[in-house]
Amino acid sequence: MAKDPHRKYEIRCPVHGFIQIDDWEREIIEQPAFQRLRRIRQLAWTDLVYPGAMHTRFEHSLGVMHTATWLYDSIVSKSGDLLKQELAYDHQGLERDRRLVRLAALLHDVGHAPFSHASEELLPRKRSTERFAHEDYSAAVIRNELRGAIEGHVLSANAGFKAEDVAVLIEGGAAAGRAVFWRDLITGQMDADRMDYLIRDSHHIGVHYGRFDLRRLIFSVVAIPADKENPHPRLGIEEGGWHAAEALVLARYLMFTQVYFHKTRVAYDIHLRGVMKRILPGGAFTKPEGAGLKEFLRWDDWRVMGLIRMGKGGEHGRRILERNYYRRIYHTPEVCSHKDMLELKKVKTRLGRLVVAEEKATKSWYKTGNTDIPVFSRVRKPQVQPLSRYSKVIAGMKENSQVLLYVDPASREEAERKLNKKGNQLR
Amino acid sequence: MSDILTARLATIVTLAEKQPRLGRTAVMKLCYFLQTLRNVPLGYRFTLYSYGPFDVRVLSDISVAETLGGIESKTVMYSGGYGYEISAASKSEFVKGLASNFVRRHSADIGQVVQQFGKFGSADLELLSTIIYVDREYAQAGRRQTTDALAEKVQEIKPHFNKPYIQRKIEYLERERLLRNR
Repeated sequence: MAKDPHRKYEIRCPVHGFIQIDDWEREIIEQPAFQRLRRIRQLAWTDLVYPGAMHTRFEHSLGVMHTATWLYDSIVSKSGDLLKQELAYDHQGLERDRRLVRLAALLHDVGHAPFSHASEELLPRKRSTERFAHEDYSAAVIRNELRGAIEGHVLSANAGFKAEDVAVLIEGGAAAGRAVFWRDLITGQMDADRMDYLIRDSHHIGVHYGRFDLRRLIFSVVAIPADKENPHPRLGIEEGGWHAAEALVLARYLMFTQVYFHKTRVAYDIHLRGVMKRILPGGAFTKPEGAGLKEFLRWDDWRVMGLIRMGKGGEHGRRILERNYYRRIYHTPEVCSHKDMLELKKVKTRLGRLVVAEEKATKSWYKTGNTDIPVFSRVRKPQVQPLSRYSKVIAGMKENSQVLLYVDPASREEAERKLNKKGNQLR
Repeated sequence: MSDILTARLATIVTLAEKQPRLGRTAVMKLCYFLQTLRNVPLGYRFTLYSYGPFDVRVLSDISVAETLGGIESKTVMYSGGYGYEISAASKSEFVKGLASNFVRRHSADIGQVVQQFGKFGSADLELLSTIIYVDREYAQAGRRQTTDALAEKVQEIKPHFNKPYIQRKIEYLERERLLRNR
């Protein structure tokens, strides 16, 4: 009996229950380039602080596809007329872009380096001031390793797009045309990526900081009509859902301070970079082109951990194995004023060569600040106001610009003496 | 703070000094123009959204510059929507001083971009930056295009602008010699 191309499959997910996929998506998921995500942990060495943090990019990617689809369907259900009038969508166009969004969400992380964001500083330079990002690798994987699975399945004939369209939507290329509207669901202020990772990370780690009312939020996201300053429909929140949006922003803040920028987790990121610099030929990953892409895909957490276990990770590898990590000796407040910066400068001068690393929240991939989500009200007349007008908590939020200074554990006491002797308050 | 961050903060403060009451969209697009048209090495990674080239790090940097006292920002409401007004603040010299060489080196670039684009509202800035983004993509791919083809592609992304209006903006950028692959 022939295989039914319309058959649906379910994958059990600890966050969303069941995630449904079709035969086409299953074919893509089964490709080695996607299966590699099973061997890349979502939160790098966070398990050395929170032992439950063992989940991978594989389950997160499925979760993002599920969440993005949920968002897409909700927006179309609530704002279908607006999308038809302002972006000239019809039923077929909406069906096409629904599938496109699903695949872009599923594959957005397929180009991650081992240990996710922790090793991104080892991606090679694209230009003098810009490195390649994991999205560049994701797009290259889609165009090359996954092209056959995306374009070869019998269902792809109905889709009306190619692998190139999926890659372009992830990259943010002009060829996406009208579909660029949906990029905010893949990478934006209220994207499916963020909604999934906050809840998933909280679930696995066992904290409640990243939790918010996902269902309320999803059913509150709408397309907001254009106005004189914003000549294009954009995504925002219905007034009734602003508390859910507020909770999302607070969840980002709390997860950043308690997990993503946790002092010990950050120390292990430093050691991982030290290991990677040593074990990668030339001290950096290869470019996402030709043989370079194939070589890049050979790297995953397992390979790196094997090399560390074999003693090839050098001093930093030993520190990971022996849990002899750098210790934070000083930190600025979360939001740095100019006085805090002057104090930091003094502390660095006092500590001198004892400082082995300086880590900045501003360099983190995770962002915390108030980027002001638009809130749409229909009371009396249509009106859009920023979330900060509704929430005093959000209005007071600033980008985290904290700086952490680290020393070798062997010189910690000496560093403490130097700071205390000068009357510095140890933070 | 790292050199690239202090350079960005100093740039944002300088923009706010040269053009008071800038909106957030204006800061975003002026940074895009500085990096793309004047090769000012800000290290942003702009990608295309329906509202034009965007990098969330510009918003983060605005927030950090505000915390340091280099700029001040207020929300302004208008019929149906809202915007922001960003101006230089009391610690602007301190923030610029964090990257004084950078500011000196690129002061003329910043002045030039403000002169060329400071007069436009946010809707036009979104359109102009989108045209340049599409133009650069074509150029990078080694594809030549007519004004008509460029306008058509831009209209796909921003369908609420009519084609003659997009063409007029393309012609403005051509007159200013800012399009590459013509």
